[in-house]
Amino acid sequence: MIGFLSKRLAESVLLMIGVLILVFFMVRLTGDPVSLILPVNAPIEQREQFREAMGLNEPLVVQFREFMLGAVTGDLGESLRLRQPNLEIILERLPATIELALGALFFAVLVSVPLGLAGGMNPGSWADKLSRSVGLAGQSIPNYWLGMLFIVFFAVELRWLPSFGRDSFTSLILPAVALGFAGMGQLVRLTRSAVLEVRSSDFVRTARSKGLRRSRVSGKHVLPNVAIPLISVLGIQFTYLLGGSVYIEVVFAWPGLGSLLEGAVRDSDFPLIQAITIFISLFAISIHLLTDLLYGAIDPRLRHS
Amino acid sequence: MSRYVKLLSALLVSAALASTLFATTAVAQESTEPSGELVVSLSSDPTSLFMPRTADRTASNTAWSLYDSLVWIDEDFEIVPALATSWEISEDGTEYTFQLREGVTFHNGEPFTAESVVATWETGMDPSNDYANVFEEAESVEIIDDHTVRITTPEPNATFLTRLATFWGMVPPEYIAEVGIDEFAQNPVGTGPFRFVSRTAGDRVVMEANPDYWDEGLPKVERLVYRVIPDASTRLAAIQTGEIDIANRLTFDQVSVLEGNDNVEVVTYLNDRAYYVGFKNIGNGEGSPIEDRNVRLALNYGLDRYGIIQAIFSGQAEPLPGFVVQGNLAYDEEMMQPFPYDPERAQELLAQAGYPDGFQIALSCPADGYVNINEVCLAIQRSLADIGVEINVDFRTTNSFWSEPRYGVTGPMYVDSWSSEIGEALPRLQGALVPGNYYNTWEDERIAELIQEIEQEVDRKARAQLYQEMHRLMTEDPPFIYLYQPMIFEATRANVEGYDPRPAEEYFLKTVSLEEE
Repeated sequence: MIGFLSKRLAESVLLMIGVLILVFFMVRLTGDPVSLILPVNAPIEQREQFREAMGLNEPLVVQFREFMLGAVTGDLGESLRLRQPNLEIILERLPATIELALGALFFAVLVSVPLGLAGGMNPGSWADKLSRSVGLAGQSIPNYWLGMLFIVFFAVELRWLPSFGRDSFTSLILPAVALGFAGMGQLVRLTRSAVLEVRSSDFVRTARSKGLRRSRVSGKHVLPNVAIPLISVLGIQFTYLLGGSVYIEVVFAWPGLGSLLEGAVRDSDFPLIQAITIFISLFAISIHLLTDLLYGAIDPRLRHS
Repeated sequence: MSRYVKLLSALLVSAALASTLFATTAVAQESTEPSGELVVSLSSDPTSLFMPRTADRTASNTAWSLYDSLVWIDEDFEIVPALATSWEISEDGTEYTFQLREGVTFHNGEPFTAESVVATWETGMDPSNDYANVFEEAESVEIIDDHTVRITTPEPNATFLTRLATFWGMVPPEYIAEVGIDEFAQNPVGTGPFRFVSRTAGDRVVMEANPDYWDEGLPKVERLVYRVIPDASTRLAAIQTGEIDIANRLTFDQVSVLEGNDNVEVVTYLNDRAYYVGFKNIGNGEGSPIEDRNVRLALNYGLDRYGIIQAIFSGQAEPLPGFVVQGNLAYDEEMMQPFPYDPERAQELLAQAGYPDGFQIALSCPADGYVNINEVCLAIQRSLADIGVEINVDFRTTNSFWSEPRYGVTGPMYVDSWSSEIGEALPRLQGALVPGNYYNTWEDERIAELIQEIEQEVDRKARAQLYQEMHRLMTEDPPFIYLYQPMIFEATRANVEGYDPRPAEEYFLKTVSLEEE
């Protein structure tokens, strides 16, 4: 177990360094932020002054060194446009994004697990057909389009729910469902196929032939084995929801990291783009590590190997 | 012209009539307490609530509710008193002596005095500010006594008062000295009609009426909430549901949806912005056909700007006559007619210039940098092909397009636009035509000299004449192909009164009230 963990940890560190290098150089391929941040009529001297004040006129190697040193010591720099420490800005927006991601995940699990179980347990039934259609729909409908459709239908036409913002619990419903829709699709398919696979395995047949009740077979033997792939996918889903909520946050004016990132990209706010990417990557890597740990806890084979 | 504009002007006229007829009622109403909550959408999160750091219009519109300057610009672009009750300008036009209003206090209780003007200037010039250069236009700010202050500019400056009016939001000296600019921007304090309550990043800015506001009867709403809604279609939805009272930055297609909706009123007006094709007579433009005046005239005659406006903007834009646009000082409809579409004339001119069969040239375009700009660039290519000019459209990402001084290696032709927030063409003339400026690509001594004269002409009428002379010069020997002046589309709930945005998309909410629905 320790060997497994230290190997995963080392991989994570390497991955993080790769992310840092990529982010730093890729944002710099997009041009000069000064021209987008300063007023159009700003004289050339003022541009130079600003560039110097923000450390943008240093050689790239020096900037990169500063950036890496900062990243390692937890200093994520200061936003060019908002003139605030990036970490402060990110932490201010993080709760909204976590709330939305959890809401989306909750919705996805709530719909997909029962549906996938029902479908997998009764292949060919109406529940199975439904689960397959939901799975397909979830994975093929783009979430921002769904979001806009939800706004028009549930907010403008029916007036049931707010069209934007983060005011109360009701504001969470539309963006969470729209965001969780794709994950739901994936989870339905996964649950269904996992159930099908486990159901046809030998130990289930043995349990059945011992004369155990159907519900006991499902609860005691099928479910725990379905849970293993589900948990690892849930972990991946959660990190995907954190980083992939940009469109949904913009469409619903949800004040989280996604809309922050969209604004930062629009303004070429290099330090902020870097900081958000690092933050999300770190988050994703930690969750993957955590999932691996959980995995070990659930699957004794991993623990003992 | 759209029916909304007609409707709007009809409404304005009847409002004006009503206000004269019922002047007494109006006075009685003005003295009532501010009431209601006004919710206004913002298309992006304001960069800062400290005026010198309000990088864009959205931020400055939001922040300005908290502040006042010494003077104000009224709807007719006249300079009127605000925190200064009167002022004198010295003979040579470089010294402004202001008498300050007495008894005004900041939201934190500090009194407004001459010290505040000095603090505003000093903190405004901080090099970390976006608009430090605006404050550097003043050479010194001297305190004469508690309520008299003298501001000196190095040379006569035609637009000094205008910039003073829109950027110098007065700040309380003790507070800002104590907390510094960064902290001030988080908890701003001014003398303005609204005071700061809270801000949630990316979400909202909340303000409430300043009960001690010096301008009696204002503001008219008790609570003011700005909501950040980056997506235009969501703003459209939110104005339909009534979650917001004012939605800005909509498109023509979007406001068309609102037709027949009694709860919403559409607001449209011409933006103070000129779209044009720029030429380079520097860098890679040197030695190219466009250096010839006849070629530039030919391109102006040979481009079907009317067709472009119809096809791409459903007719919702005005053909551009020059850099003095509708609504600007010195604009004269008769004198300032756009070039007619005359491809034959264009071909004659090309032949005279020695290009009877046309020529090839590159046109750079800031991809997605403006509304429909990609389509416009392609339409220019098609239209000019008819007179034999073969355009290679070179799409660039906006950031690389605007990054390099003088547009770097783009061009020798490129599409861009320039706005003005002062009701005059000066900022775009300076930006595009003063040699050496960051976005200048055309050097013409006569134009540069005339700009300098305009900059230093403090008298409005005399300045208007200079603008007209500039227009003639820029029509006879055009440094651009003039394209169009765009329309702005916004919407308010029907019970919103007194919302009167200006051509540079500026709006001031202290006069806005909410009627019972």
